[in-house]
Amino acid sequence: MPRVKSFTQSMAWLHSWAGLILGWLLFAIFLTGTLTIFDKEINWWSQPELRDQQVTQQEAARAAWNWLAREHGDAEVWNISLPTERAPVMSVSIGDNRRSGGKVLDPHSEALVPVRESAGGNFLYHFHYTLHMPRTFGIWVVGLAAMAMLTALVTGIVIHKRIFKDFFTFRPVKGRRAWLDGHNACAVLMLPFHLMITYTGLVIFVMIYMPAAVDALYDGNREAMFREARPLAEKGAEPRQGNERRDGGRQGNERGPRMVEQAPAAEMLPLESFIGKAESVFGPGMVASMTISHPGRANAVVSLRPLLGSRIALTKGVEVRFDAVSGKLLQAPLEPRASALTQQVMTGLHFAQFGGYPMRWLYFLCSGVSCAMIATGLVLFAMKQRLRTAEVNRGHTFLRVVDVLNIAVVAGLVLGCIGMLWANRLLPVELAGRAGWEESLFFGIWGVSLLHAGWRQPGAAWREQLGVAALLCLGLPLLGFLTQDAGAMDTTRLSLALVAVLIGLMLAWTAWRVGRPAATNGVPHEPTQHLAGAG
Amino acid sequence: MIRRLRDNPAWQARLDIGLRVAAATIGGYFFTYACTAAMARLLPLARFDAVMVSSLLAFAVYTAVIVWVFAAASAWRAWLGIALALPLAIIGFWPGLFGSGA
Repeated sequence: MPRVKSFTQSMAWLHSWAGLILGWLLFAIFLTGTLTIFDKEINWWSQPELRDQQVTQQEAARAAWNWLAREHGDAEVWNISLPTERAPVMSVSIGDNRRSGGKVLDPHSEALVPVRESAGGNFLYHFHYTLHMPRTFGIWVVGLAAMAMLTALVTGIVIHKRIFKDFFTFRPVKGRRAWLDGHNACAVLMLPFHLMITYTGLVIFVMIYMPAAVDALYDGNREAMFREARPLAEKGAEPRQGNERRDGGRQGNERGPRMVEQAPAAEMLPLESFIGKAESVFGPGMVASMTISHPGRANAVVSLRPLLGSRIALTKGVEVRFDAVSGKLLQAPLEPRASALTQQVMTGLHFAQFGGYPMRWLYFLCSGVSCAMIATGLVLFAMKQRLRTAEVNRGHTFLRVVDVLNIAVVAGLVLGCIGMLWANRLLPVELAGRAGWEESLFFGIWGVSLLHAGWRQPGAAWREQLGVAALLCLGLPLLGFLTQDAGAMDTTRLSLALVAVLIGLMLAWTAWRVGRPAATNGVPHEPTQHLAGAG
Repeated sequence: MIRRLRDNPAWQARLDIGLRVAAATIGGYFFTYACTAAMARLLPLARFDAVMVSSLLAFAVYTAVIVWVFAAASAWRAWLGIALALPLAIIGFWPGLFGSGA
C-alpha cells in the first residue's frame, strides 16, 4: 500500500481484504446463526415422533413426578424440562448434569417416548460459534471473524460517501452496478442491525476475548469478581446459585460426600404447585424447567428456571428456589447491578430469545439480509478481481481460488444445511450414532461442493449448486409426506416446510439469473458475464 | 537484502502491508488489552463496574485501532502509535500506581 493513498482509498483496501479473507468464515457464521434463531423449531421438525400433547405445565409436572418417583425414587436430583410454546415436549433426567439430554416422557401414558437421534438445530447452534472446531479455539476464530466484520462495517461506512442517496438506488439490470447496489442496499438498510449483532456477539465472550480489566483489577480471578458483585448472595445460606452454576458438575462431586447422611423422608408439596409461584416471579408461561434436589426428603429443594426470553437480558443461571416440603421461598433471583445488566442485555439482544415469534421473524429477516450482504460482497470482490486480472494479465490462480471458495462457501454451505435436513428423514431411524452421520453428511456435501466448484467453470458451478439446493428446498415438503410422517404435520413443521419452499424459490431465481444467457449477451461490460462466463 | 527492499517498490509495498497487518492484529490486540486495563484502573467507578464498562468498550477501541493503523501515513508510524500500549500497560498493571490495588 503506497503512502500516496488517500484515507478513503486505504479504507477501501482494508474493506475489500478484511471482507474477503474473513468473509468466507463470516458467511458460514451468519448463515448458521440465522438458522439458529429457529433452532428449537428445527429440532422439533427433526424429531417427527414428537407430538404436541396439549398439556399444561402443571399436568406435565404431575406426570413427571409420578414417573420419577416410580423409576428413580432414590435419586439425589430430578430434572424436569417442562413443555413450552416453542418446544411442547417434556423431558426428564436425574443427576447433576441436566444438560446431557433427558428422556422424553409422554404426559398421558407416563411412559418414555422413543425419539430418533438428530443433530438438527443444536448442531447449527454450536457450529455458529465454534465452527465445529475445539470449543476454545473455535470461539477465538469466530471472534477474529467478528472483528473483521466490525472493521468491514466501519470502513464500509467511510468509503460509502453517498450513504443515503445510494439507499434509494437499485439498478438490477446494470450488471456489476446491480451487485454493488444490492450490497450497499443490504448494508445501509440494516446497518444498525449488522453493528448490533456483531458487537453483541463479541460481548458474549468478552471475558474470554479481552480479560485485560479482570487481569488488572482482580488478578484474572473471574469468580472473585462475580462474587463481589453479589454481596447479598455471599451472606445467603445456600452458596450454589447464579454464575457458579456453570461449574455444576464439579460442585456436584464436591457435594457428594456430604450427601451420605440423608435427611429423613418427608412428604413434598405437589410439584405442580411451584409453577404458579415461579410464574409470579418470572411472568406467566415463562417457567422452562425445574430441578428437585433430595426429592422426598426433609431437605428437598425445588429450583425453577425461566425461559431465556422472559426478558431482554439473557437469564442464564437465573432461578428461584423453594423448600419443597414447606413451600417457603428460599432464594429469589437477585437483580443484577447496572453494569452486569448492561452486559446481559447486550447478550440477550444477540440471543434474540425475547419478544416471542414476531421478534424471532424480525431477527430472521434481518440476519438473512446480513447473509446477503456478505455473499454479494464476496461476489463483488471476484468481479473486480476478474477485471483487474484481465487488465494486467496476472493473478489468474488467485482469481480461481477466490471463485472456487466463493462457490463452495456460499452455495456449498446452503447445500450442506438443506442436505442435512434430508439426511434427517432418509437415514434409518435406528442407525447407531445417527446425529454423527447427519453431521458427516453435512461436511461431506460441503466437501463435494468444493470439488465440484474446482472442477466446473464458475458460472456453471454457481448455477448447478444453487439449482440443486433450490430443488432440495422445494422438495422438502414432499419428502415429509413420502416418509411416513404426515401425521406429524403441525404448525411448526408446516411453517418450516413452507419457509424451505420460499428459500428454494429464491435460490432458483438466483440460479436462473446467474445462468441466464441473455444477461451475458447484452451489454459488453455486463457483470453477470464476469460472474458466469469466466470460461 | 536491505537494498533489494529499498529499491523494489513491489517489495516495499508488501513489507508495508505485512507490517500494517501485524500492527492491526497483534499490535492492535495488545494496545486494546493495555488500554482496557488502564481504563478499568482510571474509571471513577466501583471495581466491578469499572471492569465491566471498560471490557464492554474494548471492541470499539480495537476497531478504532485497526482503522487507525491502516490510515496512518506509514507502517512505521502505525507501530509508533501501537507503542503507546506501553504507558497504558504501566497504568493498568503497575501495582499501587492508580486506584485500589488488585
